[in-house]
This record gives sequence, C-alpha cells and structure tokens, in this order.
Amino acid sequence: MAMKTPPLIHPLDKHLRLDRVPTMYCPGCGIGIALGAMFRALDRRFNEGLLDPNRIVWVGGIGCSARATLYVNYDAAHVLHGRAIPFALGVILANPNLQVIVIGGDGDIAGIGGNHLIHAAKRNIDMIVVMITNFVYAMTGGQVAPTTPVGVKTTTTPYGNPEPPINVVKVVTSLNANYVARASVTTPHYIESFFYKALGMKGFRFIEIVSTCPEVYGRHIGLRDPVDMYNELKKRVKYKQKPSIEESDISWDTGIVIGEFLERNNPSYLELLTGVRGK
Amino acid sequence: MVFNLSALEEPYALISREHGKFRVCIIVNRCKECGLCIAVCPTKVLVKSSVINAYGYHPPEPANIEKCIGCRLCEYNCPDFAIFVERVG
Repeated sequence: MAMKTPPLIHPLDKHLRLDRVPTMYCPGCGIGIALGAMFRALDRRFNEGLLDPNRIVWVGGIGCSARATLYVNYDAAHVLHGRAIPFALGVILANPNLQVIVIGGDGDIAGIGGNHLIHAAKRNIDMIVVMITNFVYAMTGGQVAPTTPVGVKTTTTPYGNPEPPINVVKVVTSLNANYVARASVTTPHYIESFFYKALGMKGFRFIEIVSTCPEVYGRHIGLRDPVDMYNELKKRVKYKQKPSIEESDISWDTGIVIGEFLERNNPSYLELLTGVRGK
Repeated sequence: MVFNLSALEEPYALISREHGKFRVCIIVNRCKECGLCIAVCPTKVLVKSSVINAYGYHPPEPANIEKCIGCRLCEYNCPDFAIFVERVG
C-alpha cells in the first residue's frame, strides 16, 4: 500500500519529515522547542533570500539531540558517536557553498567529541554547532556527562558526582571561534535570534542551548514533571546584554547566564584556504 | 466512560476554536500531554481535554478562547509541533 503524504498543517511542517512525526522524544523534552525555534530562524533567512533550503546540511552524532537530523526535511547525516564535527568538516571542504549545521547533545559534542570541538573552533571552520545541554547522557540511561553539576546522583555516580563540570562556552571562547552564545529552551525567542544571527556569519559559530530533560535528568534531581522542571529552569535563567566570560559558569544555585558571549570577525578556515582574506 | 474514537479514525484530527482575532488549533495525534502549553499561557486559555488521542494522551483544548491575546507562547513552547495560533481576518 502506498503511503499517503501527510498534509501540511502546522506552520513549521515544511521543515519536518512528517512520516516520522510524532518524534521519539519524551513528553516535555526541550529538544523539540529548540528545533522549532531553529526552524523559525531558517524561515526568516529563507524569506530574506540569503539562504537556499537545498544548500543546508544537518549533521548529528548519537543521542537524543543528534536524532533531530532524522526529523528535519533537509539533507542530513547521522554519523558515529562524537564524530559529527569531522563529518561536517568533510562536507564543508568538499562543497564550500553549503551551510553546515551540527546538532548534538553535551555528551556527543563536549564529551565524546570534545577534542573535535576544540580543534574545529581552533581552526575557525565554517559551521554552526548547536549543543543541547541536558546535563546527562540521557539516551543511554542517565550516566554522568562532562556537564553534570557536582553532587548530582546519576546512574554511574550513585553517591553524587564528585567532578566539577566543564564549561563549554568558556572553552570555545578561549579558542578562535567567531560567535559563541547560550540560550535556554525556556526562552525560545533567544534561540531563534541567536541562530538567525549565526546563519548570517562565517567561521565557527557555537550555540549552547540549556534544555530540560524531565524523564532522565529530572528523575535524578527530583523534578520528574515537565512543567516543574521547565519552571525551575526558567527561574534560574538570566539574560544579559553583554555577559562577560567569567559569568558563563552554569550553576543550579546561582543561576544560568544566557546571552551572546562572543562575536567577532576573524578570517574563517575557508577564507584562509581560498585566499579571500589574507593572514 | 465514553471513549472518543474519532482520533483513531482521523489521523490528522484538529481541535480548533476561534474568536474574532485568533484561532488556536491543536493537532490531536501529535500531542504528548506534557502540559507546557497550559503552563506557559499567560491568560489561561488552554485546559486539558477529555479527548484521548491515538497514543493514549489527552491533548489540551482552548476552553477560554475569548481570552486569547495571540502571544503564541504555546506555539513556541510546544516540543511536538502540535499547537499553533493563526490570526483570523
């Protein structure tokens, strides 16, 4: 029996592979909110005529967030765990006219692919990296991740996490990246405006999205209900116009500062390779 | 106990209400009942309905539609692309 093409109902349906919707995400997962905000930013760029939908490539590794590449109605690749950035580097070197968007979780991009992230930022490679932080490895059952706060009991740290977390925004800012921002799923309009801005820039652009994970992380910290977790995160998120790098530490007690931490116009890897801009 | 089986028979069923300015539509079979739209609505337009969708969830229902101010926070905060607000007229 031939599959009937699902009708376009929602305003964002043209960005989705509708035969795979509803997604496999748990009820209340923040990834869908982040994805919707990114689609709205793409819509604005398409309407301006600055971006071609046929020249966008999404790359994701393994994990809940990286699985978004299976739901987007664009060219997309779902590759090895942590190796989304090397794959994206291959894509952009093979065809520099493409706009490459890497999407992944904190375990995929900062944990297993951490070294790739550092070196892509160091070389200022033309790609957008969207890291959706939920503070644990959620898809594999809630193991400790590099971003897990101190003291949180996870599957692999039943007495509380003893290690201080990595601050990925600080790491990427210390390198040669062109744009570093952090948003939260409780502020989808900031995800949209940061992603919109990143789509119009060159070089390495990094956006961290602090997300809710009520099913796994919420279970660990006692916020199992999606609405409770959303409201608790919303209380802690603070937007600042020009935040300093020193304020970028994520702390569940003192708050999470969101905003654009870095914006500059260093020559990107492709511009240096093709000689558009000299050293 | 009355089961509403229309959600199973009609895969793209919509719950749609409108007043003079805005129409709120819910795609019944995409909802996962997380409750975020009900929680973020500043004027409390949405309530949980008694409809059961194909996956066993109760989608919301714009019961107090006359209060809708068209802020679209429910649309922005829906993780499952299940609710949207349109301007009427």
